[in-house]
Amino acid sequence: MSKRILLCDDEIHILRAAEFKFKKAGYDVQIAGDGEEAWEAIEEQKPDILITDCQMPRLDGFALVQRVRENPDTEDLPVLMLTAKGYELSHEEMAEKWNVIAVVAKPFSPRELLKKVDEILVDETSAVAKPQAATPNP
Amino acid sequence: MNYFKHNNLLAVAIVLLAGALVTSGVGGMLFGADFWLVRLTLLGACPAVAGVLVILWMYHQNQSRKAAERYVEALCRLDPCELRSDDIPPLSSYNPWYAIADHVRQTVLNLSGQVQDLEHTCAASEIRIRRATDECLKIKKIFSELSEPIVVIDDYDELVLANNSADDLLQLDAADETENRVLAEVVRCQKLVELLKTASRRKTTGNRTDEIEITDRHGQSRWYRATAAKLSAAVDESDGDASAASGAVAVLRDIGDQKELQKCNAEFVSAVSHEMKTPLAGIKAYVELLADGDAEDEQTQEEFLGIISSQADRLQRLVDNMLNIARIEAGVVNVSKQTRSLNELLEEALHVVQPAAEAKQIELVEDLSPMYLGVLADRDMLLQAAINLLGNAVKYTPNGGKVTLRSRMVDQELRFEVQDTGVGLSEEDARRVFEKFYCVKKDKTMATGTGLGLPLAKHIVEDVHSGRLTVESTLGEGSIFAITLPNAGQINS
Repeated sequence: MSKRILLCDDEIHILRAAEFKFKKAGYDVQIAGDGEEAWEAIEEQKPDILITDCQMPRLDGFALVQRVRENPDTEDLPVLMLTAKGYELSHEEMAEKWNVIAVVAKPFSPRELLKKVDEILVDETSAVAKPQAATPNP
Repeated sequence: MNYFKHNNLLAVAIVLLAGALVTSGVGGMLFGADFWLVRLTLLGACPAVAGVLVILWMYHQNQSRKAAERYVEALCRLDPCELRSDDIPPLSSYNPWYAIADHVRQTVLNLSGQVQDLEHTCAASEIRIRRATDECLKIKKIFSELSEPIVVIDDYDELVLANNSADDLLQLDAADETENRVLAEVVRCQKLVELLKTASRRKTTGNRTDEIEITDRHGQSRWYRATAAKLSAAVDESDGDASAASGAVAVLRDIGDQKELQKCNAEFVSAVSHEMKTPLAGIKAYVELLADGDAEDEQTQEEFLGIISSQADRLQRLVDNMLNIARIEAGVVNVSKQTRSLNELLEEALHVVQPAAEAKQIELVEDLSPMYLGVLADRDMLLQAAINLLGNAVKYTPNGGKVTLRSRMVDQELRFEVQDTGVGLSEEDARRVFEKFYCVKKDKTMATGTGLGLPLAKHIVEDVHSGRLTVESTLGEGSIFAITLPNAGQINS
């Protein structure tokens, strides 16, 4: 059974690009336009990884991750942040405080993003892996 | 000599008596018995005359003494402060008390002179004291009223001086009441305490500066730049005492606005960066998908190229808007104003947004004034503002809605408004919608904006055309964005 990825971003063209890449790689992809939609999808679909933007309407990425970590059913869900604020965030703080596995900065390479997700999902225990630096533009 | 002058009556009396005695004795020996009549006359008349003379002398002596007493009494009654030598004529030189009286007179005059000198010195000193007191009060008032808080401590780290601003900011009233002057106990801000102590202990003069956040009595935090300097011991010139005024002084300068500006700039740069990265991210992602051959069929390739094109347009709009705002704010924009028809300009704007409205089946209603409305405007800029308002109305109105463009002359001013039946704005959103990069979060699912369209329109209307751009909105019902401009006739007159 293919791994399930939940993508959350308020920019539809970003969602479409990432969704296209992951689907082509054989993943089962769900998309959400904001944190609330993403939370509903997490509860219903039980994804294997959450890839989320930070600035979003209704419920932003930080609040979403907090909700995920505070819920016993989802606290171990691997989270990757995909954000235009990639270089402003403290990756160490994100890892330490919210157990965020990686922060990928926009503009991003779908190829690199896929590679990173592949690496994370290969190892099911990666939710507690060491933080990784933001992926710079190749 | 004077003695004899004052005693001549007595001398004459003595001479008369002596003369009478001598004459009667010598005459008796020379003329014998024949001389008895003369002798009798001499011995009888001369003592009588002498007695009269003595009485006169005694009377004169008595009168002179009284005159001298009155003279001295008068001298004593005179005001030494206003005494002049002309005010005291000397006592008659015939008075036997003349010498003593004159001595008293000279002494009084001397003392009077000294008293008057002292009076002048005293008056001059009083003037100097008054001036010094006035200066001191003036300096104290200036010090107290200075808007920048100032705190002074002594060698023992005790608070010795603080102006009103410092009292207010650092809440030193309690210290005044309890008379506790220990700096660390009365000033809660530890950074300021440390800064003052460090400055006080320095061996050399020179400023130490630190940026300090202080919370005032209302709980409001604000940033200050504190500059502390060692107070050199002021040497008292009179006694050489050098221990009088050492310690340190700190002046606090409010840099809250500066900090706020820095924060705004940082937020602005962050917002610009975010807004630019978002379309760039789309362009980069789809270019890579195409380059990697992920889009195998032609339809997908066209879809991706379309997204790249629309994101490039979005980026261009963002850059154009930013440049336009920056030019207007910097006052370097070329404005070419001419009197033109407002209605014609609005029709042109309406024509531009027509396709977008049709795509969403939005009814565009043209309700323009039948009158000619002359406006002194830069065509391109005002057209841009109108397009931005109409474009937003179409963007944020659900399919099948209605957007009305209206123009009127109201109170000798031109007014055009864009009314929609869109999603409307909350009170906070309506208040902040003209801020740069302020995007109404709940509307992001409806459309993407640069967050600069409305700020640009406001700049164009208010800064370039001296008009007003306002918004009235009801959440869930729609909004009216209204532009009021001076009419060309008014401007010309």
